[in-house]
Amino acid sequence: MLKLRNVHKTFDIGSINEKAALCGIDLQLAEGDFVTVIGSNGAGKSTMLNAIAGVWPVDEGSISINGTDVTALPEYKRAQYIGRVFQNPMTGTAASMGIEENLALALRRGDRRTLRWYITKTEREHYYTELKKLGLGLEDRLTDKVGLLSGGQRQALTLLMATLKKPKLLLLDEHAAALDPATATTVLDLTNNIVLENKLTALMVTHNMTEAIRHGNRLLMMNAGKIILDISGEEKKRLRITDLLERFKELSGVQMETDSVLLS
Amino acid sequence: MELIAYFLSLKPLNLLSALPGNIVQGIIWGIMALGVFITFRLLNFADLTVDGTFAAGGAVTVVLILAGIPAPIALAIATIVGLLGGLVTGFLHTILGIPDILAGILTQISFWSINLLVLDGANRAVNVDKYHLIVSLRNISSSIVTMLVFAAVLVSILYWYFGTEQGSAIRATGNNPQMVKAQGINIDFMKVLALGLSNCLVAFSGGLMSQFQGFADIKMGQGAIVIGLAAVIIGEVIGDALIGKYMNFYIKLVFVVLGGVIYYFVIGLVMWLRMPTDLLKLFTASVVAIFLAIPYLKAKTNNSFVFANKGGAQKNA
Amino acid sequence: MKNMKRIILILMSIALVLLSLTACGKSPEVSDTTPSGPEQPEAQSYNIGICQLVQHEALDAATKGFRDALTDKLGDKVKFDEQNANGEPDISATICNQFVSSGVDLIMANATPALQAAQTSTNKIPILGTSVTDYGTALDIDDWTGKTGKNISGTSDLAPLDQQAAMLHEIFPDAHKVGIIYCSAEPNSKYQDKVITEHLTDMGYSVKSYTFSDSNDLQTVAKAAISENDVIYLPTDNTIASNAEIIKNIALPAKVPIIAGEEGICSASGGVATLSISYYDLGYTTGEMAYEILVNGKDPATMEIRYAPKFTKKYNPDICDTFGITLPDEYEAL
Repeated sequence: MLKLRNVHKTFDIGSINEKAALCGIDLQLAEGDFVTVIGSNGAGKSTMLNAIAGVWPVDEGSISINGTDVTALPEYKRAQYIGRVFQNPMTGTAASMGIEENLALALRRGDRRTLRWYITKTEREHYYTELKKLGLGLEDRLTDKVGLLSGGQRQALTLLMATLKKPKLLLLDEHAAALDPATATTVLDLTNNIVLENKLTALMVTHNMTEAIRHGNRLLMMNAGKIILDISGEEKKRLRITDLLERFKELSGVQMETDSVLLS
Repeated sequence: MELIAYFLSLKPLNLLSALPGNIVQGIIWGIMALGVFITFRLLNFADLTVDGTFAAGGAVTVVLILAGIPAPIALAIATIVGLLGGLVTGFLHTILGIPDILAGILTQISFWSINLLVLDGANRAVNVDKYHLIVSLRNISSSIVTMLVFAAVLVSILYWYFGTEQGSAIRATGNNPQMVKAQGINIDFMKVLALGLSNCLVAFSGGLMSQFQGFADIKMGQGAIVIGLAAVIIGEVIGDALIGKYMNFYIKLVFVVLGGVIYYFVIGLVMWLRMPTDLLKLFTASVVAIFLAIPYLKAKTNNSFVFANKGGAQKNA
Repeated sequence: MKNMKRIILILMSIALVLLSLTACGKSPEVSDTTPSGPEQPEAQSYNIGICQLVQHEALDAATKGFRDALTDKLGDKVKFDEQNANGEPDISATICNQFVSSGVDLIMANATPALQAAQTSTNKIPILGTSVTDYGTALDIDDWTGKTGKNISGTSDLAPLDQQAAMLHEIFPDAHKVGIIYCSAEPNSKYQDKVITEHLTDMGYSVKSYTFSDSNDLQTVAKAAISENDVIYLPTDNTIASNAEIIKNIALPAKVPIIAGEEGICSASGGVATLSISYYDLGYTTGEMAYEILVNGKDPATMEIRYAPKFTKKYNPDICDTFGITLPDEYEAL
């Protein structure tokens, strides 16, 4: 489904801020893989997601989705394959537009924007049913401006938008990190349901080890721009936090900042 | 005594009789303001191209009419020139990476030269006695009807367009470009499209203005952006005061046009009061400042502690 | 109800600004206006609308001359509504609309766009223009004969270009190359350039024009013109008038003399001499024409466009000393 081959990315080449963010990433995802990604700050988790989404071109290596080489495609063209939810709840939605308007934009992800009217009656009914599934009461506020919603509501909406038109790949970039713990749990459970129900292939970056273990069928650990651990199947199911911390120390040679990992 | 004499010398009827002319001029600027609304409010792009495209619209229209081309066709060609101007700004911004304000200024000053070439000088008259013009200061009553029809049609077209998939993509681009990219929309394309459309309206309005006043002048676009913005803001504030939460996109567009009308009515009022005309710009600035301040002060009142004390808190809760 | 309150609030704030501005500059018009209410019969009184394009020394002088002429002749019987478009051409249309709708007896349009707007606004009310150079072009009239054939007449500020050329020849008979600098965004400069180029070429000079489209480009253009020519001619041009200092700072060190089309430009640009018209006199003449129309019932359609009544040759003593030029006695010092 997703294939990364020897992907490299260095930022600010030639300046004092030069930083090698990705140093040879090789990764292959099968259809239906729900992969969680952990690692300390600056390990390259978000950078890897951005490389896949095409926020900027990579320096070296290739990326293909569903057999199509997308390495040279700009962000907006890759969007036809990819649904995304961002860390900042402001990023994923248009605040001054209504809930249904946002959904209408998302329903046409990757399509050419024509001169047809942007919301039809059947579509509106479709949005109503889908929003109802979120259980947040948003279905009765179809025309409300998204700016009026709370962070959690916005992330749930973004999640729905990212999956309204089934993506080949769903990228979740610490999308619950900015929410309070209770809301974060709700959003993550919602994520889990949507991914499993639609049999989506998903990459979910998280700071939270418990969540990384609880969700998904595969876990990646990153450090210094590399994938240092890749656990799946039965082994993943048996995984515990203490194992992860130990493996991290063993593989990277440093202590993981347990505070931020455990408490976030 | 002098003050009483001054008030006695004012003739209320004159204010009223000047109104139709002010309305025509106001609607013409209101159409220009629709263009500014698209870039400034929908696309969130401070486009200064308009000073150039407004004058270009006037220049091209007049020169073509003088060359014997019927006014409607001349106006259509002028509109296309406006489109090209918007596209140039769009390309400068998206392809060459020039910041929005600067890109607009570059196109604007290029138009200064282009307009001089088009006009073959600084000023060309189009004599209403010799040509059949769409609107003219000479025939105000028919001009008013024409302008009302134009405004209604344009507002309807814009309402429809911004409700299409493409139009809503433009609105979203102005709102949150990052989200728009994630939805597979080419934001560069949307920006160029919106700038083109906006400057179409601006040049169209310039073409009408030159016919209305009977000449095109190289300086006619100077400060157009300010009048356009003033009209947008005045329209929004008054619309908000009158309609409040029942405001929808159609009515919003109508109020943008009305903003232009109110602007010209106020100018007419200043003249009628025979205030020293040197103060005209100060006055204009004051009016725009008031309208800009109203939404802010209103928000402040609603959130103030004093207000909360008076029971506003329960209402807001 | 709440909406009504808001509207009233908005209207009141507008009214407040209006009042405060009125109070701080109680219009000079008031003092000229006899305190007669609208109820008084207006049989022998004349209402005149004055539409001036922009605040500018020359245009101000013309307006003053116009008012003085009519006040001299009619005293209290004439009332002026003087409006200024503040340099925005389309405001002159707003002003003329106001005049026509309030039924003034005559419109005086000061500068080209003002005259064009006035022409568009009415074909009945008499219009007099001033500070307009070429009426045929300004009004889009074919076969210009010196009369408009309609409700418009006025005065032209066309400097006597043939006499200016002759003056240049009188002072610099041995020069070869003359450069003309003007702003292409000024309505009247191109025409002056064309006419004086013809005159100078006939006299055997080689003439080249240097145009700039806005004041930012003036310095570069002026440098080129001054380095390539023996004498510089500056026409009556508003942009030059506002930026004459720039030309002075280039021309003086280069020791290239300047002949100017107008007094203000001559002194500001460090010009040697000028043969200029007085805009006050021009306005005064326009006022006399207004009197003929209003009181004597003359038809503007048959009135020839009039020109400045007299020209004066003036020189700049300091500059002449610098260049070592001595001029005949008929020249007055600036």
